[in-house]
Amino acid sequence: MKKTIASLPVIVVMALLFGSARLGIAAPDDEAESKARRDAVQKVFKDDVTPFLKTYCLECHGKNNREKQGDVSFQSTFNRPGAGEFRKQWQLALVNVKTHAMPPPDAKKQPTDEERRKFVEWVPTVKFLSTPDPGAFVIRRLTKVEYGNTLRDLLGVDPAIAAQLPEDVPGEGYLNTISPLQSEQYLELANEALNRALGPKDGPPTERQKQLFGETPAPGSDLRLAASKVARSFARSAYRRPPSDDEVEVLLRVFDLGQDNKLTYPASLRLMVKAVLVSPQFLFITPEKETPTGQSIVPLDDYQVAARLSYFLWSTMPDAELAALADSGKLHEPDVLRAQVKRLIEDPRSQALFDGFGVQWLGIGGLKDKTFDPAKFPEMTSAMRATMHDEVRLFFESIVRENRSIVGFIDSDYTFLNEGLAKVYGLEKTVSGPQMRKVQLTDANRGGVLGMPGILAMTSFPERTSAVKRGVWVLEQVLGEHVPPPPANVPALEKQDQKEIAKLTLRQRTELHRTDAVCANCHKILDPIGFGLENFDAIGRWRDKDDSGGQIDAAGELPGGQRFTSPKELKAIIAARKDEVVRNLAEKLLSYALCRPLEGYDEFVVDRLMENLAKDDNRMQTLITEVVISYPFTHRRVR
Amino acid sequence: MPSKFIIDRRTCLKGIGASLALPLLNTMGWAETSPGKQAKPPVRLGFMYMPHGVIMDQFWPKSPETFLTEPPPALEALRPVINQCLMVKGISGVSIKPFNGAPHALELSTWLTAKLPNADHRGQIDIGISADQVAANYVGEFTSLPSLELATMPQTHKENQEGLNEGYYSHCSFRSATQAMPAEIDPRSVLNRLFGKSDKPGTSTRRDPLDRSMLDLVISGARELRKKLPHDDQHKLDEYLDSVRTVERRIAAIEQRQKEAALETAGVSSSKRDTSDSPPIEIKIPEGDKRSEYMRVMCDLNVLAFQTDTTRVSTYIGSTPNGVTYPELGFRGEHHSYTHHQNQAEPMSKVAAIAAFNISQFAYMVKKMASLKEGNGTLLDNCIMMWGSGLEDGDKHSRDNLPFIIAGSGGGSLKTGRFISDVKGNQGDLLSTLLACMGVPLDRPIGIATKQIKEMTTNL
Repeated sequence: MKKTIASLPVIVVMALLFGSARLGIAAPDDEAESKARRDAVQKVFKDDVTPFLKTYCLECHGKNNREKQGDVSFQSTFNRPGAGEFRKQWQLALVNVKTHAMPPPDAKKQPTDEERRKFVEWVPTVKFLSTPDPGAFVIRRLTKVEYGNTLRDLLGVDPAIAAQLPEDVPGEGYLNTISPLQSEQYLELANEALNRALGPKDGPPTERQKQLFGETPAPGSDLRLAASKVARSFARSAYRRPPSDDEVEVLLRVFDLGQDNKLTYPASLRLMVKAVLVSPQFLFITPEKETPTGQSIVPLDDYQVAARLSYFLWSTMPDAELAALADSGKLHEPDVLRAQVKRLIEDPRSQALFDGFGVQWLGIGGLKDKTFDPAKFPEMTSAMRATMHDEVRLFFESIVRENRSIVGFIDSDYTFLNEGLAKVYGLEKTVSGPQMRKVQLTDANRGGVLGMPGILAMTSFPERTSAVKRGVWVLEQVLGEHVPPPPANVPALEKQDQKEIAKLTLRQRTELHRTDAVCANCHKILDPIGFGLENFDAIGRWRDKDDSGGQIDAAGELPGGQRFTSPKELKAIIAARKDEVVRNLAEKLLSYALCRPLEGYDEFVVDRLMENLAKDDNRMQTLITEVVISYPFTHRRVR
Repeated sequence: MPSKFIIDRRTCLKGIGASLALPLLNTMGWAETSPGKQAKPPVRLGFMYMPHGVIMDQFWPKSPETFLTEPPPALEALRPVINQCLMVKGISGVSIKPFNGAPHALELSTWLTAKLPNADHRGQIDIGISADQVAANYVGEFTSLPSLELATMPQTHKENQEGLNEGYYSHCSFRSATQAMPAEIDPRSVLNRLFGKSDKPGTSTRRDPLDRSMLDLVISGARELRKKLPHDDQHKLDEYLDSVRTVERRIAAIEQRQKEAALETAGVSSSKRDTSDSPPIEIKIPEGDKRSEYMRVMCDLNVLAFQTDTTRVSTYIGSTPNGVTYPELGFRGEHHSYTHHQNQAEPMSKVAAIAAFNISQFAYMVKKMASLKEGNGTLLDNCIMMWGSGLEDGDKHSRDNLPFIIAGSGGGSLKTGRFISDVKGNQGDLLSTLLACMGVPLDRPIGIATKQIKEMTTNL
């Protein structure tokens, strides 16, 4: 399962070829060399991979076998193996062939180990066939959090005003839609936000109103002209770019509507501002100009860069400084961009990066609402769950703000505790009081996300631990491996004597899985990792015996033969697999920043990130900066 | 302290600006009744869901003959209305190939679509319009709310089976192939949305009389913007435009009702509504965190929305796949874990109890409907309420005989009070049948449907 084994030679080649890092699009350093490399990958595809596919895969995953092929077909890869749409299919094939899940164990023809090796080594090189592509930039609706924050910055209202909106489900596509329920809520929230910011309709003007609307023009002056200035300025903020003349005209028609209905000047402006708040230009992040004709890839303009950057790190609209830099056309300059990233990270608003990205990456989104067996874990109150969430947040932010190494997520010697949480650590004697503070740790089993109660609790069942969940979590969230799902019809384990089973430890019981060949392929990889953390109970407390009373056996072996006997040894092994840990975080952060899954050409982008990170001790701020100045973040494909 | 709310017609009339819905108005009879025709209550369609399947021998009736006299244990709570219930065995779910590893992502999302997600865009929502939304497209224009979506848990399950979008875990209602309908989980905001009322003073937002014209202008501006966008983005904007137009229509419907209410207050109109109709039910919002109380208030809101003809289509996701526990029943583990019971008695009894618990909330809702007079019968007579799960046996993830219960005869279109034990059909066939009973013309089959289930209906 080790990704690096296969891709190591590739990284070396990359370092040679892409030595110099530049902002924006990278022309291959040497056209001839790049062609030679492409040809080499094509040759292996033709000589080794194509016969492999034809011999072992095509019978089921071919074109004319709909029943068996599922959704996977290799027929169409023969002409263009490097097409971005096959990326996931290749990754899946890699995992399945590596773990001997495919061809199915009962298939007649089985590849030799050598054939498997060749296939597995070829798959990561497929990226050399792809051409630079920043990916589609589909307009995107503001998330619930972004919407609340943006209203706060525009109108000074509490962002919790958005609480009634439906929860967002991460994932492409979903976030872009607006249901009638949401549309109705946006209208209602616009009314509510304006009531709060501007006061009652017939009341005296609030400070915010004076700031937004300026002075009421003298009687007899051109009200429409004055309104157009308000429209232009408010829409500049709310649309995160200067509005077009047509857009201002639409807003003025709303102003006219108010005037025609005998509303006062401020009341007409208020109606106009409400129109801004329900417009797609506000609710979606939209491009400024018409799609340029004749080009397929264009750099983002400075307004888009400002919005993208600001929503990435702050989950809100650009502030005055970013807006001014966009207006002056300077924001895309690499040094300016780097300085802005630094400034945004140091601002408290960058907590949004944890709330938006960190929570999702570490999988603790449901912690505050997760239920635990109250009889077994009475201390797991909602306050305790919130504290555990806070610990993860403070730890994440310490790595971001103090610009620590990414490896610190795995291996650190400090955390953040208050008295209640210190009990979980057995440190209640050293920490007192409800406020969270930084605590130095001496127990090497703790320190880092693997030994953090919030994460250990999230990967447990309400009443017990789950080695499988923890194993999957480490592989997918920390090491960036792809774990295939369990088979649809989980084969029932051999009828066991239930009384005998009750005496087994959880480990012994779970190991029964591995007596079945179908389960064993994956569980022999997943389970040992989870068992390595078995000393932590379902809410993250240390224990030497599990619920059955049996001694915890935290020994195991990772694929590749690395053995461990305790959480701290497992932690050390994972921390040493730096490339995987860093690459995984880089890929996940890039995907988050781009709001899309990574595809073919993105592999190059990540390779570049990895190089530059390695030169700087894998520091977190370097990663963030590199993501922001990357080619796909600063460009978009328009057709 | 629980707060009480009685939505009576007078209150609604008084708060003209804020009221979004009125109980059936004297002036109008049923909205779509053409003049001169006798008013007939419309058919309402409601769905309620529980994941992970049932214990089969607790759920399926022993025989068609004993269905009424000895209903299966899981249906105990429905005994008082058992002759208004219909059970059918032999309706198979959509085969989930090629997503074999994702039974729980698909049990809910295929439930009302009878269709699999698009395998080429599995990370996105791309499935098919759901039956409730087909109904809402047809009858939605008659009510101030085209459809109502409710859920017990937040729709944020984090899991990614077979690379499928997380939204598939927690949504059953799809307005179009790419648009999942979010459900409301806060009874207070449902109350506010249905009736412009809140039990917290000062939180209800008055609507602005110019909002509708303002939205018109915004829509025209958005059309301009649309022209400038690439193709994919245009599609997104279409969804926006569609949803804003729905709001606009909703405001128009409210204005219409307000006008009629004003006429009634002025004594212009005479009552067509049957005097035997029950007054709108009372809503109590519980303060505690007891699941049953919470689910019952959601059921009450559903009843009230149907009773007042605020909407005619609803879905209620009573529970979502994975991660849900039942502390109220004294169970410590997750519903999902128990369903992999491997035929052990103890977890099986828990799964049975969880199903009975969910069905008893459904029973609470339909019994309430049966207690409300409407026209010559009861509200339930004019409803098609379906409770069901997306798996039959959770242990094996099988879906050969989807478990479901229908209550209400849909205005006499369904043959209730029976168990049909040997039907051959699929999920799409079932949904198509229910829509036909509601009078919804189908221009294309629902998902994998090939026919309607004649045995269930009186008019086929």
